[in-house]
Amino acid sequence: MSDKAKDFFEAFKAGKMSRRELMAGAGKLGLSAAAANFLLNGAATRALAADFNWKKFSGEKLHLLLNKHPYADAMIADLANFKTLTGMDVTYDIFPEDVYFDKVTAALSSKSSQYDAFMTGAYMTWTYGPAGWIEDLNQWIKDPAKTNPNYNWDDVLPGLRASTAWNGVPGGELGSADAKQWCIPWGFELNSITYNRKMYDKVGVKPANNLPELVETAAKLTKDLGGPYGIGVRGSRSWATIHPGFLSGYANYGQKDFTVSDGKLKAAMNTPESKDYHKLWVKMIQESGPKNWSTYTWYQVGTDLGAGASATIFDADILGYFMDGGDNKEKGNLGFHAFAANPAAKAPTPNVWIWSLAMNAASKQKDAAWYFMQWASSTEHDMFGARKMDFVNPVRQSVWKDDEFRNRIEKSYNGYLQQYEASSPGARIYFTAQPLFFDVTTQWAETLQKMVAKQVPVDEGLDQLAASIDKQLKDAGLG
Amino acid sequence: MESTSFIERILRGAALSLIVIFFLFPIFWILLMSFQTNEEILRIPPSLFFTPTLSNYAALITGKLATVSGTLDIAFMKNLWNSVLLSTASVAIALALGVPAAYAFARFKFRLGEDIAFTLLSFRFAPPLLVLLPLSLYFQALGLTDTYVGLIWVYQLIALPLILWIVRGYFEDISPDIEHAYRVAGHSWGRTFLRIAIPLARPGIAAAGLLAFIFCWNNFVFALILASADKQPVTVGALAFVTASGIQYGQIAAAIVLSVTPTLALALYAQRYLVEGLSLGAVKG
Repeated sequence: MSDKAKDFFEAFKAGKMSRRELMAGAGKLGLSAAAANFLLNGAATRALAADFNWKKFSGEKLHLLLNKHPYADAMIADLANFKTLTGMDVTYDIFPEDVYFDKVTAALSSKSSQYDAFMTGAYMTWTYGPAGWIEDLNQWIKDPAKTNPNYNWDDVLPGLRASTAWNGVPGGELGSADAKQWCIPWGFELNSITYNRKMYDKVGVKPANNLPELVETAAKLTKDLGGPYGIGVRGSRSWATIHPGFLSGYANYGQKDFTVSDGKLKAAMNTPESKDYHKLWVKMIQESGPKNWSTYTWYQVGTDLGAGASATIFDADILGYFMDGGDNKEKGNLGFHAFAANPAAKAPTPNVWIWSLAMNAASKQKDAAWYFMQWASSTEHDMFGARKMDFVNPVRQSVWKDDEFRNRIEKSYNGYLQQYEASSPGARIYFTAQPLFFDVTTQWAETLQKMVAKQVPVDEGLDQLAASIDKQLKDAGLG
Repeated sequence: MESTSFIERILRGAALSLIVIFFLFPIFWILLMSFQTNEEILRIPPSLFFTPTLSNYAALITGKLATVSGTLDIAFMKNLWNSVLLSTASVAIALALGVPAAYAFARFKFRLGEDIAFTLLSFRFAPPLLVLLPLSLYFQALGLTDTYVGLIWVYQLIALPLILWIVRGYFEDISPDIEHAYRVAGHSWGRTFLRIAIPLARPGIAAAGLLAFIFCWNNFVFALILASADKQPVTVGALAFVTASGIQYGQIAAAIVLSVTPTLALALYAQRYLVEGLSLGAVKG
């Protein structure tokens, strides 16, 4: 890049010219829009270099394990800037999500040093952390010699910082004072309503404000639309069926998965309030859900919404975001709506999924790996991803205040920002952290399937579920 | 000979057509999907009429996949090549080792012979996930992690027992008298094996080789756990079209068509051997 071009981008970073002037000037210098974006973040990266020795591990080579996801794509698009900044080389393996966690588990459990850092979800760290497969990142975050002074850890949304920190004690509160920071939040999704505005207008209904209303609205949509069904939610026999809309609504009714007493866990899915909630949920699926609901995962729920086969989803907000773009039939027709399931609740309580970065305990170059992790979770990279790529939802408060990002979302995604602002104050992980997470939630999903298929009444099914989980907890020394 | 009645022929034709449609329709549907865009595939109701596009094949071959979140790099052709390399090399080695071993087990009685043969067969009993963790530890120690050599070695767990046991049965069905006659003429065991036994067992060897190739081709988990992304076979690579921002059904269909083609071509070419080899080798007189 010529000095003239470099000066030009530095001037923009220093606030001496507008973005429009920057792009016009870049065009005169013969730079394409893509090259201009790259250089723009290059300027941000150089600004990052000012107060910290980023070259300390120059010449080292890191190897990452990544899931095929827009967040990883955004990072790869910006990776050249990290290499320039640090002088390090970074290679990566990307695996599809269907098999990704099998690969991670195999790599970690065999103590392989092949990967230095990897993408993970917070729930997974409840297994990886106590097993000693990943590092407590507090030792790097809190060390000023290892973390650049502009990193601003406190800028990361507090609910997400807390949700990725756990003290390792079954039932221990997430984000407690003695918690270990098992991973760094990178991008996240919260659960709310995405609906098809055209279909809603056609039938003459408005987005529901609570679960009883949603049950009625979905039934009316199913009846009046004559084809598309009213509400899409996940139903496969998997933990992933429990964590999105279902748990968000469950938490909104003040319900918990476990009670903790004297360090012992006890299943709490069979309270009278929980039974009432389950009855509503089951009724909603029976009346207005997809025909083969019990096979539904993220993919089917999203695809149906994008293809106009469903009118509503109660799932990740970013799933609606993706379906409102691309070559989907319903592109531009979707609306977003914050949702508090309980009519008596004051605000939504969305459970969250947080794609995060964790460090392999068997890595032989942990300090260098931390350099990558702090860069990948920096404001500069988060801003780049949110403005230019699909790094949505960003985890930093400063990015949510950025006008360019907000304008982009406001312009193309009807009501997304309003949905986010109403949902985010209550957004966090509502599960109790404990090592049997995947066993418990899979069994919970299986019970839901039986209830929807009318193989077992809701009351009886939940009593059986709680008894079975209590036995598992006892066998594992947790109950 | 009594000729069949007209009605009987019609009924038989209808029954055969139904069976063919039942089994081939999913493949036909996938073929149609591979020439459609995602939007056309997801139409409600589905339709047989569409404007064909080669964009799915173009995306696979050029390695550029257009998604909601921009253009993604995909390595499908590399995955396809990995599958060809791993399956071909694994079957070639398994044939080189398994056919002489099968002959030895069929023709000679030796100490612990049956135990060794059973041990080799038992490789097929163990669920792959059970052996993968210890294997990955050994592979790290031996420096075989993330190497084609390591993967081809592990693929012997699939190919070798299959070839050994199918070809052994076939050798046992061939009368040893022909070989004895050749031996009486002054030829060595090795020459008898190469000149008499192998040509006679060729259909069985071809059938076993083809089956082993298909089993290796369809394997999913060994490469996933033991190798990095650039050495993954097509079975893992095809999952790349299931992305967080949507499922690329058209590209999945095109990937299925491309990945089925080599095994289908091989099966069609070796069809005569396959039927003959499997039926003769399986029946004991």
